[in-house]
Amino acid sequence: MINYIPEIYQSSLPGGLNLIGMEYDRVPWVSLTFMVKRGAETDPPGKAGAADWAAEFLTLGTARRNQLELATDIESRGAALKARGGFDAVMVSLEGLAEDFPQLMATMAEIVQTPGFPEEEFPLLKERRRAELTHLLDEPREMANIRFLKLFFGDAPYGHPAQGTLESVAVLELKDLQDFYRREFSPRAASLVVVGMVEAAQVEPEAARNFGAWTGGGSPSPTYLAAPEKLCAPGIYLWDRPELTQSEIRMGHLGLPRSHPDFFALKLVNYILGGGGFSSRLMTRIRSDLGLTYGIRSQFHFRRAPGPFVVSTFTPAAKTAQVVKEITRVMTEVERDGVTPQELAEAQSYHVGHFPLGLETPQGLARQLLSVDLYDLGRDYLKKYCDEIRTVTLETAAQAAQIHLRPESLVTLVMGPASQCAAALQELGPVTFIQES
Amino acid sequence: MTLTRQFNPAAWQPEIEMVRFDLANGLTLFVLPDKRLPILSLQIHYKVGSRHELSGVTGISHLFEHMMFRGTETLGPEEFSRILQAKGGEINAFTTKDHTSYFENLPSEHLELGLQLEADRLKNLKLDDETFQPERQVVISERKLRSVDSPFGLVLEELFSAAYTQHPYQWPVIGWNQDLQRMTLEDCRKYYSEHYHPGNMTIVISGDAEPQAVRDLVEKYFGDIPPPGLPPAPRVVEPPQRGERRVIFKKVSQVEAFFAGFHTVGLDHPDIYPLNLLTLIMSGGKSSRFYQEFVRPGKAVEVSLELASPPWAAQDPDILILVAIAAPGQPLTELEESIWNEVNRVLSDGVTPEELARAKKLMRAQGARSLAHNFFRGLLVGLFHMKTGDAGQVNRLLASYEQVTAEDINRVARQYLREDNRTVVILKPVSPEESQRLGELA
Repeated sequence: MINYIPEIYQSSLPGGLNLIGMEYDRVPWVSLTFMVKRGAETDPPGKAGAADWAAEFLTLGTARRNQLELATDIESRGAALKARGGFDAVMVSLEGLAEDFPQLMATMAEIVQTPGFPEEEFPLLKERRRAELTHLLDEPREMANIRFLKLFFGDAPYGHPAQGTLESVAVLELKDLQDFYRREFSPRAASLVVVGMVEAAQVEPEAARNFGAWTGGGSPSPTYLAAPEKLCAPGIYLWDRPELTQSEIRMGHLGLPRSHPDFFALKLVNYILGGGGFSSRLMTRIRSDLGLTYGIRSQFHFRRAPGPFVVSTFTPAAKTAQVVKEITRVMTEVERDGVTPQELAEAQSYHVGHFPLGLETPQGLARQLLSVDLYDLGRDYLKKYCDEIRTVTLETAAQAAQIHLRPESLVTLVMGPASQCAAALQELGPVTFIQES
Repeated sequence: MTLTRQFNPAAWQPEIEMVRFDLANGLTLFVLPDKRLPILSLQIHYKVGSRHELSGVTGISHLFEHMMFRGTETLGPEEFSRILQAKGGEINAFTTKDHTSYFENLPSEHLELGLQLEADRLKNLKLDDETFQPERQVVISERKLRSVDSPFGLVLEELFSAAYTQHPYQWPVIGWNQDLQRMTLEDCRKYYSEHYHPGNMTIVISGDAEPQAVRDLVEKYFGDIPPPGLPPAPRVVEPPQRGERRVIFKKVSQVEAFFAGFHTVGLDHPDIYPLNLLTLIMSGGKSSRFYQEFVRPGKAVEVSLELASPPWAAQDPDILILVAIAAPGQPLTELEESIWNEVNRVLSDGVTPEELARAKKLMRAQGARSLAHNFFRGLLVGLFHMKTGDAGQVNRLLASYEQVTAEDINRVARQYLREDNRTVVILKPVSPEESQRLGELA
């Protein structure tokens, strides 16, 4: 009997906002997260970053206070405010000492309900974002991630970086941020998650007082659920970066939505393939046996619509083709032969044993609640989680591997010095040279 | 088991309960019992880091940390991690200038297994060429990732090697490339026998555990390991800097930047507290001076003042680092001048009571937040003990910040943020072609 999972409390406020929370007593902390269940997938064409910028803009002033007054008030309480837009959701989080809970709740309400959209802040935000995105060009790993998604998804909603691009910096206007806010910030598609050393009996009236009357927002965008019609053709794509000493490698294909019934089987299969660190086959083969990288992992990005499945690693440039070949070989073995009884048993015992570690901090608990709520996993999800893991069998794992791993469909992006890796890559198949964008 | 739950923040006690045991062979054990969840953090801290290395074998502490996962007489490479991960554990290690730490965050029912495996690799580590050669390549790849291909990795290495002329903090924890290339298995064997033994280690168990039962388990698995005597501890004192040092480093970069290091103090010096509060006043959060002056208006991508806070602060005097990354197209010389003007404003006018109160509350909040985690609770105790010999400092941490006055901050600002005491490394962007002409990055 698992009795260490705090009870979830939930209520619907008069204006329609969903309140969900957990009591936590280890440290006097409280974490508040306002989640809008629409994100960067709603960015208009060519306007990458609208959702994420809108989120940050909320922190830059309200109807009552400017950015400095707001920041000074929050930081004088030792609290931290963050707002960001990702795929499927925008999150505004405010965390601090539990002794300040009423003020933090009131501040959250002020930020979410009465943004100031101060015009003078917009050109400054634009400059900061331009600088950050330019600086990002010096980060090989980030650039490879971004370039892979663009290559793979093209203009489909998951194809652009949520934080925007240097191209979108030039065209985004304050109105785009306001449009996002007015359309999506609605109690009909939002939740307020509270975890901390505050009793539910105090949270509920405080939330009702601050958010109960809020009915704002228009009609939120329809949820994005479908897979894109057109994706990049499988093959090897090379982005020449002569100044790098290592190649960044991304290999992937389309994955699954979070709602897919094979979620648990595939989670375990991916752990064995490349998600489980030193317990994974990719790490064992490419790092431990061959010493060709410091790190390698595979991941299914489970989202509302099918997200990508991606294997990510890096290697000294001269070893690039060898690593690409080995990744394909390891993936093909799992797809064809499934996993061994010992691998499955260990993957299951890892997930069951590790489960309480995710419940240790207010942030960990809040992450669980946000995911449960965003993907409609059910109030009893955390209580059923370990049983769901245990019920995966060797057969269902093999089946999931066979259906959902598709080594023949891999899109491979290599970002590295072509002079050291192109010839060997061409021996694996045709190589298409691509540019930055 | 049902625990009484209390939701009154005012009644909360931040003290960490700790029970210390000293084994006959010199091993020190701390148990920090807390039964809220059936999990714990098992940590083994060895008092050896890059400060114990010699020129020519830099990076051996970190490379050796990797070797500890490469198998024993009975376990294959990485099997240590696989076995404990299969029980739900998070397994990792890290090396710093002063220590090497291994940890397993895992369900408490598997504590004995964790201790058994840790003792096994302490006693029976397999060191042969078959495991050493690929692991050396892994570390060389890690160095490329963290230093060579990262935007500022090599720039920071330049800063430390220019700021320290004699102290071992001058080389990076990951080591110089040439040393990694020429290091031998024999170097590793010597290092292992000198530094990896009970007299040079501290075990911390933080979480769901009974102190006496833990002590018995540790005695069972570690009690029979003899201590060969403590390795010689380096006592190098970096001479005072007598004038600014400036270095130019050219590499492919989208932005200009400079990193300035000021010699300050180590963990055991009381000035570490006002210095840390000063860093928060200057660049902690969006209401800070540097954010408002430089980052918000888009003059810089980042301007920050950084110094590791206790107990993460270095054991010997560390450098306080001012990081300034100009926005693309913004001239660095102007940015540097305005930053020194802003620094001089603190030196002449001091900080305000509001700024000090904000910094103290930020520290109090961060302290409370970190105590939610068995892992951090264990690190707090283990690192204070390793670096100062006084684990009790952990329970005086908040008071140490609370006692700081505005005058203390003004004094340390004037004492350490002096031009004669600083080393500045300037990153000058060059084209890929020019970068290649300048020679290989390593």
